[in-house]
Amino acid sequence: MSTTIRPGAGAARAQQAPDLRDCGPQGCALDWLSSQRHEAEVDDVMEFTRFALERGWGDGLPLIPPTEARVRAFLAGNNRHADEAICALPPLNAPCTVEKIAINAVMAGAPAESMPLIIAALEAMAHPDFELFGLNATTAPVVPLTLVNGPVRNRLDIPCRHGCLGGAPTTAVAIGRAIRLIMKNVAGQEINVTSQSTFGTPGRVAGILFGEWEERSPWAPLAERRGVGGDAVTVFGTMGTMNILDTSSQSGTDLLEMIGKWLGYPGANGFSPSMPYAQMMLAVNPVWAQIIHRDVPDLADVQEMLWRFSSLDADYLTPKHREQLENLGRVSGGRVYLATAPQDIFVVCCGGTGGLHATGFHSFGSCLTQTRAILPGPHAGGQQA
Amino acid sequence: MDNKSSTMAWQAVPPLRHANDNEHGCDRMSRGNVLDPTALRADDIPLPGPDAGPLAGKTVGFRLDEIWRAWDWIADIWADEFRKAGATVTFWRSNQGRTGVEGERLARELEQFLASIDIAVVGLANCGSCTGWTIRDALAAADRGLPTTAVCTAVFEELGRNLAQRGGRSGLRLHVLPYPLNEKQKHEVDAVALEHLPGVLRTMGAELAARQEAVA
Repeated sequence: MSTTIRPGAGAARAQQAPDLRDCGPQGCALDWLSSQRHEAEVDDVMEFTRFALERGWGDGLPLIPPTEARVRAFLAGNNRHADEAICALPPLNAPCTVEKIAINAVMAGAPAESMPLIIAALEAMAHPDFELFGLNATTAPVVPLTLVNGPVRNRLDIPCRHGCLGGAPTTAVAIGRAIRLIMKNVAGQEINVTSQSTFGTPGRVAGILFGEWEERSPWAPLAERRGVGGDAVTVFGTMGTMNILDTSSQSGTDLLEMIGKWLGYPGANGFSPSMPYAQMMLAVNPVWAQIIHRDVPDLADVQEMLWRFSSLDADYLTPKHREQLENLGRVSGGRVYLATAPQDIFVVCCGGTGGLHATGFHSFGSCLTQTRAILPGPHAGGQQA
Repeated sequence: MDNKSSTMAWQAVPPLRHANDNEHGCDRMSRGNVLDPTALRADDIPLPGPDAGPLAGKTVGFRLDEIWRAWDWIADIWADEFRKAGATVTFWRSNQGRTGVEGERLARELEQFLASIDIAVVGLANCGSCTGWTIRDALAAADRGLPTTAVCTAVFEELGRNLAQRGGRSGLRLHVLPYPLNEKQKHEVDAVALEHLPGVLRTMGAELAARQEAVA
């Protein structure tokens, strides 16, 4: 068992000698890591995975044993103190430290360079307006989607083209998985313990982590539109992915009408009688994005059309459903709107050049989308994502 | 730009079999130390908090939810019984708009509601996020020192208890109603309310003293 240095002592020491805080695989004279040690098989992935599953650490896929050497190496690739508390994630609300992030990222197989992205995503999810408390407990299948903007997308091989929502062979899968393991092991989201998700979703295993194809998009990057330029993440509580096929439309206005009408179905959480507001995200392939932009140049007009076409006649709902939405002030002119306002429909460009499909991300409702810059740590000298 | 990155620094993380592992706790049979990935919350209040006691002269506050009409019906019946016992009853209705501007408004309303009552009955934990917010509001009431009872349906009891524990109050009072509930007709729900009245009074640590004295 290694000697443990309590949080706080490490930070103080590092201020005096910052070059000692990351000692690499060989370790330090002082041990900066405070997590409990468990004896386990460290070379046999399958044996360790069984060990981890027994302790409730795993997700069912093979896990890399987080030995001290591997965790130290991961930390050495960054410029963060291990005992730095990044945020508190509900329902457990225990400190989510850099050390816990590193341990889970190692288990997931994420590269050390992904640490700043993971931290930015977690900070965004921890914002009270993201409502992670409800998201992690709900019967809904909601999962935080992480959209990446900026040059970091290429540096970390975040997919933005064909198969960007699943199937592209990239380490982004491991980064998304790291965030999910942190949600389980640090936030305490456990199926049928603290999470009542009736069905769950594949996105709860490795997350939904993708980039915007900014080079092909006719619109400014989403994060930039939301006030954050450069490397950034935007997290959005999505109910999953909804495919929209259109082989008939030839104009931007036709495409927007078709997409909007398909987005608006009564069972969407945006029409939940307990949700006073909701947002929506739409991924448009680059072919359609160009057609839409050609015919409807102003993105605000694009959003307004989608908002209008995705609304429902309130009488289409059952009387009780309509009454509850009226109580929330959600019925206007006899219609109910999927998103609170046109600007609450976020349109992004990604996906393959085969076109023909868009993807709708319906929101949980009360989770308000958050955008954060991806920043290097507060201490000079480490690598950046 | 190309979406495909070239050199990911996988190499930064040592391979599964590392030359220095023996120096860091690994024996020749490949056993060694791994670091625990979980976080722990150390603080907990295992006690249920104060009893509600005799209801006469006290203000009982029911926290309702926009979505659960069955809970409205049950709260109405229990409120009638509490009034007969000499209590004043108030209601506050939540919805799931607990973020942004709407969330700030509801937080202010909740604060005012909790400041205006002596006893809190908080429901209904009848879905995942509803359970989350029911427990969260109940914890807010309990943290103010109010005799507090959260109300859930059977399917969500374990979730409620787990969230209370992770919220730092494993002893939070929790009364369990049958499930399914919101799908029942009003006369069926009314029967549940009357059947569960003695039970919720026990959970609350409450006494219908005024009514008992009147009967006596």
